[in-house]
Amino acid sequence: MTLSRWLTPTLFVLALAAAAWRAPLPAAPAFVPPPAAASDPAPAFFSAAMLPTAAPSAHAAALAQLADGRIAAAWFAGTREGAADVAVWYATLGAEGWSAPQAIATREGTAAATLAYVRKVGNPVLYSEGERLHLWFVSVALGGWAGSMLNHAVSSNGGASWSPPTRLQTSPFLNISTLGRAPPVPLADGGLGLPVYHEFIAKHGEWLRLAPDGRIFDKVRMPQGGRTLQPAVAVLDGQHALAVLRDNDSGPGRIRVATTADGGQHWPAADALPLPNPNSSVAMLRLKSGRLLIAGNGETGRNQLLLWLSDDAGKTWRTAATVESDADPQAEFSYPALLQDRDGRVHLAYTWRRQGIKYAVYSEAWLNGGGR
Amino acid sequence: MNATALYGWLAHGVVIGALVSLLPLGSRRRILGLAAIPLALLGGPAALLHGFVGTPSVTLLALAACQLAGRTPTPLDWRPAWSLIGVATLFYPMALGFGPFDPYAVGYQPWPLLLAICVLAALLLHCRRNDWLLILSAALAGYAGGLYGNLWDALIDPLLLVAALAVVIGRSRQPRLAG
Repeated sequence: MTLSRWLTPTLFVLALAAAAWRAPLPAAPAFVPPPAAASDPAPAFFSAAMLPTAAPSAHAAALAQLADGRIAAAWFAGTREGAADVAVWYATLGAEGWSAPQAIATREGTAAATLAYVRKVGNPVLYSEGERLHLWFVSVALGGWAGSMLNHAVSSNGGASWSPPTRLQTSPFLNISTLGRAPPVPLADGGLGLPVYHEFIAKHGEWLRLAPDGRIFDKVRMPQGGRTLQPAVAVLDGQHALAVLRDNDSGPGRIRVATTADGGQHWPAADALPLPNPNSSVAMLRLKSGRLLIAGNGETGRNQLLLWLSDDAGKTWRTAATVESDADPQAEFSYPALLQDRDGRVHLAYTWRRQGIKYAVYSEAWLNGGGR
Repeated sequence: MNATALYGWLAHGVVIGALVSLLPLGSRRRILGLAAIPLALLGGPAALLHGFVGTPSVTLLALAACQLAGRTPTPLDWRPAWSLIGVATLFYPMALGFGPFDPYAVGYQPWPLLLAICVLAALLLHCRRNDWLLILSAALAGYAGGLYGNLWDALIDPLLLVAALAVVIGRSRQPRLAG
């Protein structure tokens, strides 16, 4: 009688103690400060080429530099966006050019690893952390992209093989509507800050604070007055960072902005940039020179891909170069990804007419010369 | 696959078994419910449900297990069902973006949630609801065991809300007994 009376409360106390033991209590977050600004002595150069074709329709490229110096690219491709045969493809740029693309995430493989039905995959994000190469990508079981779940896999051999993907638990409602687009930034505790976005009913940017072991420590909204998507983040110092977001409201858009002054604990909205955004993804990079570089579409739509520079931490901007421009409004050069390698070369990859991924490499001097 | 994926898949097999045992299949419905579990796991419905709704909460799994075990009355009676609906009505809209506060984010560093659970446990003890205290303990153990990264996911999920709504609607359609 006495035993049964106390058994349940005792079990509860034990379970509570175990849960409290596991509950994280991390220190206040801080960014890894960027290195001091240094000028790039490389002369002006620019070259561009198409990535090897993996399938008739390609979209949403991501870039990373591997530990051995090679440039890695991932994108999704198939017969059309959202088709069952769409996979996340991966290729590397070595001394002999781009390798043949290999599928690194498929709906079948993801379904087998997560023991869950998967209808389509998309939106890869790459990030190189020493010998570890991270891949985040979305999978959808039901509906459109708003039904996306975020998955994570790791390679420790430069992308030759990958761990089985695991699903991140990021939403209480069917675990849906968390998508990634831009790479994470390193945090001082060894973790990562991953910009993601939510697009089921409400549309807004979000910030996932990841522990060094990949566990989610926190999720923070980037509230804006309207609908925004696809944040890309540049760190300014240990506490300050700037996020630029796709403007998903109707009408002529502007690149939207959120800032943080406390290592990513809060992301209040700031004034939109005086740069156009025709409801399309933007990429942002802090260059070694300390300047900020944005790649995005122009006023006329996705038929124009531009680069903008800021010398003053995002206060003012100027057009640095026009990478693509086509009078046909149906032409599409979109979803740019930016990367600066350890030698200072700037890499750009973007969707080219939905037929493939185009890759360009250039120096900061080329940007200084207005793209000439 | 990791432990969370395996747990989610197996738990959905149990949930489907419990759903089958709710069908009007006569005296064999519990047996048929149990038989449905391996069929759901191997035939695909468990993976389908796992894909659509994600990892089920421990609360839902415990209620499904109670149903399969033939435990009557079910812990999910009138008052717990209304309490779940009340929590979910506030929680889901805010977690999906209505308003500036995201209550789901609290579940990643769940100290305030653990405090609230202590208060809830005291209430359950006071009301002699040992069944729910056990379910709460199992949910905490599921979180402590690393099956969930967010404590909210161990406690509630949308299928649990559907079950609570079914209880409330079913109860309200029953004819009232004359006093």
